[in-house]
Amino acid sequence: MELAMPPIIAAGYYWHLPFLILVISLVYSATRHDDWKIIIIEAYRWGVRMLSFLGMIGLFLYIITLLP
Amino acid sequence: MNLTDENLPESKIAPVNYSIYGIPGAILSYLVPGLGQILQGRIGKGLLFFFCVNGLFYYGMMLGQWSNVYLPRAKNLPSISLPFNLKIPNCIAYRMQYAGQFWIGISAWPAIYQNYEYDEESDPPLDPYLGKYQRTPPETELNLLQNRSDRSWDLGWVYTVIAGVLNIMVIYDALMGPVVFIQEKPKAK
Repeated sequence: MELAMPPIIAAGYYWHLPFLILVISLVYSATRHDDWKIIIIEAYRWGVRMLSFLGMIGLFLYIITLLP
Repeated sequence: MNLTDENLPESKIAPVNYSIYGIPGAILSYLVPGLGQILQGRIGKGLLFFFCVNGLFYYGMMLGQWSNVYLPRAKNLPSISLPFNLKIPNCIAYRMQYAGQFWIGISAWPAIYQNYEYDEESDPPLDPYLGKYQRTPPETELNLLQNRSDRSWDLGWVYTVIAGVLNIMVIYDALMGPVVFIQEKPKAK
């Protein structure tokens, strides 16, 4: 079986994703709280959640590419 | 860490001054993301919103070769109706992305000016101040941009739309303050 290249390496546009996740998580958290410490904690949590969710979709799509 | 008032030390729950929030701040935050917060004295948050939201918007424009924020006249195209016979103006119906991009504020206004001043189908001259900035690209140029192999043009408009939609939350923050969900402490018996 020939292994396909992981999509995150095959398509360069995935490298634009971290900036998007950073901005969304920071802005979303800052609209929910005024305390900087809580903003940073919430932003970190949202960043991890979004990365995990998108990572699962990416993994699923990668597995699909391996199927015959 | 559970963000409820039970788990936060008393010093972390700052007294909320509701008098600073309101419509003037919301309007300013619409015009320039974060400006309302800065004028309300929340300078750090205002600067965070300014750099993050504007940064995302212009990053998206850069990905799209500065050609993905525009408002076409589309006057020769058939009009589109919604349920209950509601009509959408053709400029929005054929460029729905602008409905999201609009909320970034002044940064998206050149597209309205270009739409008002120039008809994209009549090969209009360059604007003396804006040039082709945020003008509807010709069909041939759009086809070339959309068929690029790395799809960055499409990715770019998604970024600009997300920036516009994020600014709606920023406007709300300037209007009503941060949305904090604090559970009430159970009353002592």
